[in-house]
Amino acid sequence: MEFQRETYSSNHKTSFFNLGILIFMIALLLFLPLFISPLWIRITTEVLMWAGLAQSWNIIGGYTGYLCFGHGAFFGIGAYLTGLLMVHLNWPFGFCLFISGILASFLAFFIGYPTLRLRGAYFAIATWAFGEMIRQIATILDITGGAFGMQLPAYLNLPFFYYIMLLVTGMTYLTTHLLLERARFGYRLLAIREHEEAAEMVGVDTTMTKIKAFALSAFFPGIFGGIYAYWVTYIHPDSVLKADITDFMVVMAFLGGIGSLWGPLLGAIVVQFIQRILWIVWGEGTFYLVIIGLSICAVVLFIPNGLIGLLEVRIHSPKESINFLMKKFKW
Amino acid sequence: MVTHLLETKNIKKSFGGVTAINNLSLTVEKGTIFGIIGPNGSGKTTLFNLITGMYPLDSGTIFFNGKNITGLRPHQIAKLGIGRTFQVPALFSKMTVLENVMVSTFIRSSSLKESQKMAWDILELVGLKEKANQQVNNITMEDRKRLELARALGTKPSLLLLDEVMAGLNPVEMKAAIELIRSLKTEELTIIIVEHIMDVILSLCDRIAVLDYGQKIAEDIPERITNNPEVIKAYLGERYRARN
Repeated sequence: MEFQRETYSSNHKTSFFNLGILIFMIALLLFLPLFISPLWIRITTEVLMWAGLAQSWNIIGGYTGYLCFGHGAFFGIGAYLTGLLMVHLNWPFGFCLFISGILASFLAFFIGYPTLRLRGAYFAIATWAFGEMIRQIATILDITGGAFGMQLPAYLNLPFFYYIMLLVTGMTYLTTHLLLERARFGYRLLAIREHEEAAEMVGVDTTMTKIKAFALSAFFPGIFGGIYAYWVTYIHPDSVLKADITDFMVVMAFLGGIGSLWGPLLGAIVVQFIQRILWIVWGEGTFYLVIIGLSICAVVLFIPNGLIGLLEVRIHSPKESINFLMKKFKW
Repeated sequence: MVTHLLETKNIKKSFGGVTAINNLSLTVEKGTIFGIIGPNGSGKTTLFNLITGMYPLDSGTIFFNGKNITGLRPHQIAKLGIGRTFQVPALFSKMTVLENVMVSTFIRSSSLKESQKMAWDILELVGLKEKANQQVNNITMEDRKRLELARALGTKPSLLLLDEVMAGLNPVEMKAAIELIRSLKTEELTIIIVEHIMDVILSLCDRIAVLDYGQKIAEDIPERITNNPEVIKAYLGERYRARN
């Protein structure tokens, strides 16, 4: 038997442990800004955002086993919508975030409705096309400022963004934990990932469950997009809608370990760390992409459960790993 | 009016040019064990896939408990009370034995605790209680077959479709499985069983239907079915007659 280790996500005993750690970590992070320099607050804020984004991808990609290649679009939509609502309608920031999340979920529902009825690669292709479509739309519309982008009201308050990022990331992880690891919904998603036909046969409305998971996974990127836009104050299609954003979510989730609560967090920390180190050593550049690409190859070939899987060490042969991943994504 | 538990009326299904099920009409009475035999490719598993809604029908209708279930989706049919096992165990491999059954008890209870308790009871019934917290990857073939059955029972079916549950079991395991299935049969649980092993079929079933090329060529009580010349020609073979 090749894959004998316990799934983190489906073990009830580790469940309370996870909740404990989660609350403890959030409590620690609440006090962190008192002790670190503004540069580090900034870096931590960014790591928090990516950890949250990777986790939201993990809901559909890891727990449900459906690869989404357009998740960055929800981030971009959130960024633009928050910007537009704040600039043109002067709505309060918090409310704009909420609306952004809802709209992202709503769009996910409409993409998921036709594509999640099917199994296999259709969903991956459709979401990728959706991402491209949103980018083109943002580039040609006048209201979004086209390729030049748009300016948001500036609010230079670093701790504010740190705390709001912490709040939303905390929410993402808590929701994942409570809904996907300790509720019927989560068990159903795992059942779909493991054997979709059998799940349907024992009474799981697989199509609806998948659509709900997708809508949930799109909600948080919508909010993160809004926060990011207000934080950096200037957004354009190449900053909030580039393909990199989706790629990083996928890479972080894979590197850390898909289908687990802590995987995306670990992945986000590691990728951000590598990026920073390379930035310090070589300055602005794209070389980090090569390193990340290579590390993803290594993960896929040797540790399909990601870095978090290394905690219960066993290195697999490439063939085993590839079979494992193919099965996971039903190819 | 007497209502049968399951009734298929002239159902038909073909895949490309191959007719898998051809104008098949069957009725299954409540509280019985109904056997289906036939050569490989005669449409037995396809019939199960049609009853459970996994494949759409080309034509015909299926009634369950007097209700037309043609065209319903599998999860809706499961909810109405039809459960099934798969010929090759189709388990949720990265979940525990208990969790596998819980996924199916979910449709009978909205609380996680209660569905967990229901799952425990079923595991006790099929004799898997000691292995409840093991990963499915780690259990034996016999236990996987038992788990298939447990998971089908988890939906609290009134009709249970068993697809070759004995395949791959040794004679001792088989005997235990026969006892288990016999103990399941009640007024509330009707069973349809597809099987190649004649001893199993003959000792369990109240009635047996024989399929060949998607058509029913005979239906009778076990004692008479083995002497039916059509059945001997299509499925059992001359040797079987000689043996008896």
